[in-house]
Amino acid sequence: MPIGRMLARRLVLVVPLLFVILLGTFMLVRLSGQDPVGLLAGPTATAAEIELVRASLALDQPIWVQFGVYLGKVVQGDLGASWLSNRPVLAEILDRAPATLELMLWGVFIGAGIGIPVGLRAAFRPDRSFDQFSRFFSLLGFSVPTYWLGLIMLFVFFYLLEWAPPGMGRISLFLEPPPRVTGSYLIDGLIAADWELAASAASQLILPVICVAIIAAAPIIKQTRAIALEVLASDYIRYARAQGLPKREIRAMALRNSATPIVTFIGTEITGLVGTTSLIEYVFAWGGLGQYGLSAIIAGDFAAVQGYVLMLALFSVLVFLIVDIYVTLTEPRAA
Amino acid sequence: MTLLRVEDLHTHFIARNLDNEIQVAKALNGVSFSLDAGRILGLVGETGAGKSLTATSIMGLLRPPARIMGGRALFQGQDLLAMPDDDLNALRGRDIALVVQSPKSSLDPLSRIGDQLIRIRRAHRGGSVAEARDKAIAMLGSLGIPDPARRMRAWPHELSGGMAQRVLIALALMNEPQLLIADEPTTGLDVTVQAQILDLLRDLVRRTGIGAMIITHDLGVVAHYCDEMAVMYAGAIVESGPVRQVFRRPTHPYTVNLIGATPERLRLGATRTVGGPPPNLRALPPGCPYQDRCPQAGADCTTIPPDVALGEGHVARCHRVAA
Repeated sequence: MPIGRMLARRLVLVVPLLFVILLGTFMLVRLSGQDPVGLLAGPTATAAEIELVRASLALDQPIWVQFGVYLGKVVQGDLGASWLSNRPVLAEILDRAPATLELMLWGVFIGAGIGIPVGLRAAFRPDRSFDQFSRFFSLLGFSVPTYWLGLIMLFVFFYLLEWAPPGMGRISLFLEPPPRVTGSYLIDGLIAADWELAASAASQLILPVICVAIIAAAPIIKQTRAIALEVLASDYIRYARAQGLPKREIRAMALRNSATPIVTFIGTEITGLVGTTSLIEYVFAWGGLGQYGLSAIIAGDFAAVQGYVLMLALFSVLVFLIVDIYVTLTEPRAA
Repeated sequence: MTLLRVEDLHTHFIARNLDNEIQVAKALNGVSFSLDAGRILGLVGETGAGKSLTATSIMGLLRPPARIMGGRALFQGQDLLAMPDDDLNALRGRDIALVVQSPKSSLDPLSRIGDQLIRIRRAHRGGSVAEARDKAIAMLGSLGIPDPARRMRAWPHELSGGMAQRVLIALALMNEPQLLIADEPTTGLDVTVQAQILDLLRDLVRRTGIGAMIITHDLGVVAHYCDEMAVMYAGAIVESGPVRQVFRRPTHPYTVNLIGATPERLRLGATRTVGGPPPNLRALPPGCPYQDRCPQAGADCTTIPPDVALGEGHVARCHRVAA
């Protein structure tokens, strides 16, 4: 299938998908039983004042009318305003998204950089000591609670060893954020040639990125190993051996044939890692999107929660789109 | 000239069961045969008799838990079983080529067939890509593939089963091997394509004088295309000889039953006599492995039966055969 047609088909599918996601989050948030009105009106509000607040938020309307109004605004790019901060949700999200992306992409990048070679080596020499070790590590990564890992990292590397800075945001408290280009403090600091700032951003990144990388690497090791083992047991690898192809070429063939499923898996993993990253963000006071979403859920900030979920959905759609483009380009059977 | 001589080949599967007891399945129990250049040997027998295992043992393609326990496989005088791994790997695909069943899944899905042909040629013979490409196009053409230059650019998934099998044969022949082993080369193909592929193999042997071994459970294939045949049962050859002799005078009771069980013979009114379950390779009876299913079994069958020569290279391993 040509890339163009694949993209067109995908875009057509995205519209109903987003509608269902909007409807689902809208209803779930309202069925959650939280009533933000009391919170907003304050503890001293009279019954009349509460009703006034309720009407100003259109919460006295039937739920379908509310959804219709909301949908109409979303289509125009207005995600509403946060009831807590009174700022537009979209602006708040865009402010915070780079922090989360920076943390998550570094984490996945390093997690994949460790996980893929480890998984491949384990598959090429199954049941040897390296394989046993990798399986142990993978199991450990699966079973360690995310927040606990973050706390222990801080305890050991900040408190005990004093190697790392405290987990309080993305740069040292004494520094100003760099002028925004990409949103990543590390990259923007480098662009602005502010070495002190870039170094601070890098040192703040290390611990949370290691946490995300460990959590990300565990399933990547397991999946890479399983995928490579399956490829190695395939008819075409067995036949390549029977043809007396050199070991190097057989390995290269196995790698090429493992690449597509591994990339697909990492794509699905990235979308799932958003949840993991939220907890890491909380522990390290990262100020990213995950932290924003969690606070919004706890506070019953409807517009913020809906905007957050919508962003996650769009992000997943984007990741899967990139994976699909990669598969279409590399896989002759997909054409 | 003897191209391949296999002597007393034993291969066992050694594994632990769930109770952690070591279990040995004696899959090959003293396989011996020889193949001359310019001849086609048909290896027949029921599933699990050890036909494919014989081929993979000879070519050094066994993977654990299978292990060669003894024997020799002399290819042009060299013992393949005693050869270092790298030497054997250099020989595979160059001097001994294998054609397998399931051709579509045996081709690398991410390489165009032309690239696969060029790769196998250059892996063993070196030379330039252009030389290998010319050779590959000529090879595809000689195997009856129309418009070979364009076919070089096809992906494996675009091929039909018969076409894929021809590509596999082309891969096997790219380095002018001395011995071609075809393991059920026509399973899963329809009858006309089967006949085309087998005609191709026979013409090839006649034309180039290489030796070929066809592994099959189809006696019709053996009767039409092979010069010699060997009947396998429970990891041993129970009867062997020139195809004509064996079909005219099948001697081992298993061979008699096998030939009697072909659809053609059944239609002629033969009674179906191959009964009973396949042999349990983990607990073979002492003596003749066929004794449990043999209509003529007697007390002497618990001792190892002799190989009885019946003339013109026809041999049967049975107590009931008088020389």
